[in-house]
Formats: sequence, structure tokens, C-alpha cells
Amino acid sequence: MTSTNGVENLEHWFPRETRRGASVYSAEEGMRLGVVVGGSLSKGLVVKLDPQQTIEDLAVGRYVVVRGENKRFFCMITDIALDSPNPAIQSDPPEIVNDPFLRDVYIGTAAYGKLYAAPMLAIDDAEDAPRPVKTIPGHFMPVLNASVEDVNAVFGREDATHFNVGAPLELEETQINLDLKRLVERSIGVFGKSGTGKSFLTRMLLAGIIARGQAVNLIFDMHNDYGWEVTDERGPRAKGLKQLFPTKVSIITLDPESARRRNVRPDFEVKLGYDEIEPEDIAMLRETMGLSDAMIDAAYTLSKHWGKQWVRRLIEITAEDIEEIEAKTPTRAGTLAALQRRLQRFERWEFLVPESTGDTVQQILTKLDNGTSVVLEFGRYGNSLEAYILVANYLTRRIHEKYVERVEKALGDEALEPPQLLITIEEAHKFLDPRIASQTIFGIIARELRKYKVTLLVVDQRPSGIDEEVMSQIGTRVTALLDNERDINAVLSGISGAAGLREVLARLDTKQQAIIMGHAVPMPVVVKTRTYDEAFYAAVTENNLKPDTIKQARQRLGNSGDRRIR
Amino acid sequence: MEDSVSIVGRVLRASTTGFDCGTRSNRIDDRHNFGAFVRVPISDDGSAYAIGLIYAIRIDDDPLARELVMATNIDQATLMDQRDNRMVPVEICALNVGYIYNGMMFHSLPPRPPLSLSEVVLCHAGEVYDFTQRCDYFRLVLQASEVPSDELIAAALRYASYAYPENERYQFLVRCGRTLANLLANDLKRLSHVLTLIRPDG
Repeated sequence: MTSTNGVENLEHWFPRETRRGASVYSAEEGMRLGVVVGGSLSKGLVVKLDPQQTIEDLAVGRYVVVRGENKRFFCMITDIALDSPNPAIQSDPPEIVNDPFLRDVYIGTAAYGKLYAAPMLAIDDAEDAPRPVKTIPGHFMPVLNASVEDVNAVFGREDATHFNVGAPLELEETQINLDLKRLVERSIGVFGKSGTGKSFLTRMLLAGIIARGQAVNLIFDMHNDYGWEVTDERGPRAKGLKQLFPTKVSIITLDPESARRRNVRPDFEVKLGYDEIEPEDIAMLRETMGLSDAMIDAAYTLSKHWGKQWVRRLIEITAEDIEEIEAKTPTRAGTLAALQRRLQRFERWEFLVPESTGDTVQQILTKLDNGTSVVLEFGRYGNSLEAYILVANYLTRRIHEKYVERVEKALGDEALEPPQLLITIEEAHKFLDPRIASQTIFGIIARELRKYKVTLLVVDQRPSGIDEEVMSQIGTRVTALLDNERDINAVLSGISGAAGLREVLARLDTKQQAIIMGHAVPMPVVVKTRTYDEAFYAAVTENNLKPDTIKQARQRLGNSGDRRIR
Repeated sequence: MEDSVSIVGRVLRASTTGFDCGTRSNRIDDRHNFGAFVRVPISDDGSAYAIGLIYAIRIDDDPLARELVMATNIDQATLMDQRDNRMVPVEICALNVGYIYNGMMFHSLPPRPPLSLSEVVLCHAGEVYDFTQRCDYFRLVLQASEVPSDELIAAALRYASYAYPENERYQFLVRCGRTLANLLANDLKRLSHVLTLIRPDG
């Protein structure tokens, strides 16, 4: 309705300057994308784009905010579409390329852009704290690009327990801060196909955890990616954890020669005894070594029959031994021979010694107790998956046993509990295969959560190969680009609003982009991860110049430092 | 009394949907263009006016005109006399698209029609500018029966665009085009035709 004071005096009542271009959202006009026109909580909101929006400027994974009546809804763009009220326009499209007038008229009216946004969080204007979304905004509520303030309201600021991992898409002046306390409380998965920067992501997370002292780490470093410097595909050498935190990280190795070649000075060399290899350790190698059920049964039988030295005896088995076993057990000679041939590979591994000194596990535990993270470099054995699985399983089982013992002894007394431990394994699907996950130590750790203060950081490119139950227990998932349908399904299983994230996940950049979802972030977020460079080194080490005393470190990790249980 | 320059005619017949006015044929000029905005009082105290769009200009015949049409060798002065002084008015038909009541402009049919012989005047540029700030009257035009509605809306918009400063004209036409695109989304051929008619420089 326009008004006049008498017909002649319209200008007096409605001066042209104020009448034109006025908008209820004038303050937000630059950020407004469109309005909500439909949708549901489960399937996400449908937003009709304003005509002035260029659809090419939008991207899945970006944050938008819907301003409702009393709440702000944080949503992620999950899909972008073109639509028209009349499908007949597809058969007779207007010629807009050379006619700006027709373009200005048609775009946004007879043909318009739509975006689908998954609501993730809501902030009540009265409370000003983000809550999981339980409702959706009403029709025609304005949808805006998320501002720096919006992102900060959700992800907080960097502090003692929050670590900056990067910036949301298109909002590079702000940052996403992971809640490290929550991150290490449950197992973590870092996924992504080969060459998407999983190792860099993992190293960055580990650097954050070590810098903020939220957990001690035991890292089974298959390809020497974490301990000392690594060659960055994009250029200069990147610093390893030991270089960043000389006093908080210890490198141990299976292959001292490789360490020497790379000018790494490991704290000690790991030696494992044949006498401590158990049939469970062999069962883990079922797939990688091509072991049959009969061979695994034979391993259990031999262990029972010969005791601790069963591996050594099998490798050097004599005709009499075979006769004896055949006579006393149902195991057949052919099975024994096949198992022997496979276990003979162990002889090439110099880190295996006839008898365990028991030192390795104890030395690692002492370091962990002192708040020092341990990186176990595999050197040349990194190319042997069997060696990796055997060693990781061997050490983890024993360390986990000690942890269970100590946590049970502590009886809930935090002062006596060991520090929170995060174990990093690569090629995780080999450890957490559905056929073996229920028996392996890694399956057990993943399922029992934080009960015994040990959690896993699994790094893998085939998440579909990981047992579903284990997957469901992974608290925080950090996922770089995945394009295999089954892998995408596996990563998104158990995530609310997963359907919307599917498109986002399949369209991440191949470098420096990841979705983080789960326990450590209030809502799934696509981040452009921080560059692992001098600025990053300075940022993670600035509070770190004065090394913690052992007591300080243990106090921060949940142990007062006054008492120690062995 | 209105400025005689802008007088279009006097009401011959009227209803709430429109009105016809008549004038002398020698007064027909660019005040009587197809698509022009006109207004006519619908109250005695000048507080209410109907706003219409001229959609037809009709010149009826009479017996003398019929004879003169048939005749040969007619004196030019006779023809001019017949044209200027004939007793049959030129009829201008307007479609109601809104009204002004107590200073407020409404885009709907007026509450009552103008009375006969009321003076119909051309809206001046300021009124056209203000009336066309919104496009709610489009529907009245597009749905009017017995009116060449596509041509009428296009002519009205072209007419109204001249009430806008030159730097606002394109935006005005785009805004109107967008409203038309929404209203005619189900009839793309018709939309395309109307847009062709209002396209600037078209």
C-alpha cells in the first residue's frame, strides 16, 4: 500500500530515496542467500535462492544460517539444484545469453536455483548456546551465509582444550576448533583415499593433542610419517612430532639402519621375543599371510602343546616333532608344513629375537607414564604388512593388559589412573576386519571406549573394510575425499543427516579439505585444514617452550604424579 | 476543477470494473493513448478516485458520417466541420486497476464507479510513479475479459516507464517483468510475448 496526502503530495509522504530499495533485511542483504520454502528435519531444508545470487558461487559443505523467529539454525549446504515452476521451459528455453533483460527477468522467477541445507544446530536467542537441532525454521525464513560471529558461536575459541584445525569453507578468516578432550575420549578415525593427505591430517591432530597435553600417544608409524621429518609432496620437508616436541615425543624403531640413514636418533631399538608370540597374534595375520582356519587351529594346538617356544620350534620343526603332533593332536602334517613355511618369514625380521627381555613394553609404558608420546618407526618393515600387524598387535595387547590392570586397581581413583592413551594405527581395516575384529585387541579397545583409558586413532583408506560395530564406536571421524560408494556409506553410518553429507564427502578437494563429524565437534564441518608450515609449528609450540616437568605432565593427563602403580 | 490540459473526457457509463468516457473528436491527442493511466473522482469531496488504464478508443459512426463516407467530391471544409463538430463523442474505455481513498493507493477495484459526466484526467508522472511501485494491479489486467490484456499490460508498462528517471527505467521494467514471469509461469508463450513487448529498446 502506498499513500498520498492528497493526490498531489505523494512525494511529501513517500520521499523517493527511502522508498526505493528498502528491504527488511537491508542490514543483512549482502549475506542473504534466499528463503526456506520447504523441507523436513530428516531430509533437510529446501531453500529458494534469491535472484541476485549466483548459483556458481555456492558450494556444498558451506555453512548457512537460517534466522528463525526465536532461533538461529546452523545448516550445511548438502546439494544445489536448478528448478523451474513450469517444466515446459526446458523444452523451449529463453535465449538469455545475448539478452540481459530476459536473463534478469527469467533468472529467479521462471527458472531459479535451489539449495538443500541440512540443519545441524540451533541457537536459541535467549540461551545463546548451540543445541542439537530438534525442529526446523518456519516457511520463508531468510537464509544467510554464516558469518564469522556465527561460526565462533558454534565452535568457540582456541584454548587449552580446543585446537584450531582449519577454517570452514569460504570463511577463512575464522577457525574450527576441535574439542581435544572429547576427541581423545573416544576412538578417532581418519579416512580418505590414497593421496588425500591422511598422514598430514593425522600428524596435525597428534600435534594438537601433544601440544595441549590431552593424551599420550603410541603411534605405529608404518611409513616413518610422524616421528622425524617427512618429505612434503608439495615442497619442503615437514617437521615430525619429535622435532616439534623434542621433550614430549620419543622415537623408537624396529629398523635402526633406516633410522641412521634418515639421521634419526631413536631412543631405543625394539626387540620382540618369539616366546611371546601368541596364537592370537598369528590369527591377526590370517588374511595378509593367507592362513587357513586349519593353520590357525594348528597354531593354538602347538602353543598349548609346546608352550612359549612354539613358534621357534615350528620354524625348526623336525620329523619327530611332526610325528608327535600328528599322533597326539588332530593337526595334519600338511597343515604344519604350510604354517611353518609362512612363519619362516619371521626369520627375516631382525627385530624378532628368541627370547623376550620384557623391556620393550615396560620401556614404552614408562615413557607413556612420563607423559611422553612414543612413535614406533617401522623403517624397512613398513612395507611388510605382516610385520606391522604382528608388532602393533603384540605391543598393543600387552600395553592394554597393563592398562586394564592399572585402571582396575585404581578403582576409580583418578590419581592412580594411568594417563589417557591414544594408539595410532594405519591400514586399520587389516586390524578391524569384520571377521577378526571381535577377537583382536583393537576391536576390543574400539568397543570398550574409554573405560580403560585407551582409545584408537585409526587411519585408513578403506573404511568399508572395518567392522561395522567398531565403526559405530568411532567417536570422531575426520574424512578426506572418498569416492567409493561403500566407503562413503561406511563413514556415514550412524551419522544423523548422513544422506546430505554424502554429496559433500564425494566432492571434497583432494588436498587440505576434510569433513570432521562426531564427538569432538558440535556439528559436522567441512574444513580447509591448516597448512602444515612454519606458522603451524610456531602455533603449536608457542606454549610449549618450557617443557613440562614429569609431574606437571602427569597431572594434566589425569594422574597427580604422587603415586604410581606398576 | 482539473487542469484542462490533462482532461481526457467525461464519464459516459461506468461500472466497478471500468468506465467509458467521451470527448470531442477534435480533442483526441496523446492524452488518449492506449495503456495510459487515468483517474476519475468517485466521491464529491475529492477524497476518492478510481484509477484506470485506457484499453480502447472507439469512434462510432452516425448517419451523416455514413453518407459522407459514401459521397464523392466532398469539400474539405465540410469534412473537417463534420469531424470537429459531430454530435457523436469519441469513446475512451478504461479498465479499473486501483483507486485512491483518503490519500492511500489501492491496487484493487474501486468501491463504487464514477458518476456520469465526472471528469476523467490523465494521471501525472508522480502519480504513475507511485502507483507503479507495486505490481499488484497486474492480475486485474491479465484476468480482465474482453480486453487485449497482454498488449494492454505491455503498453501500460511502457507508458509508466517514462514516469521514471532514465537510470531507474531498466530496473522498473525488470521488476515488472519478474512479476509477470511469476504470474504467467504456467503460460510461457504468453509470458515470452509480453516480455518481448516490454523489452527496453525492443
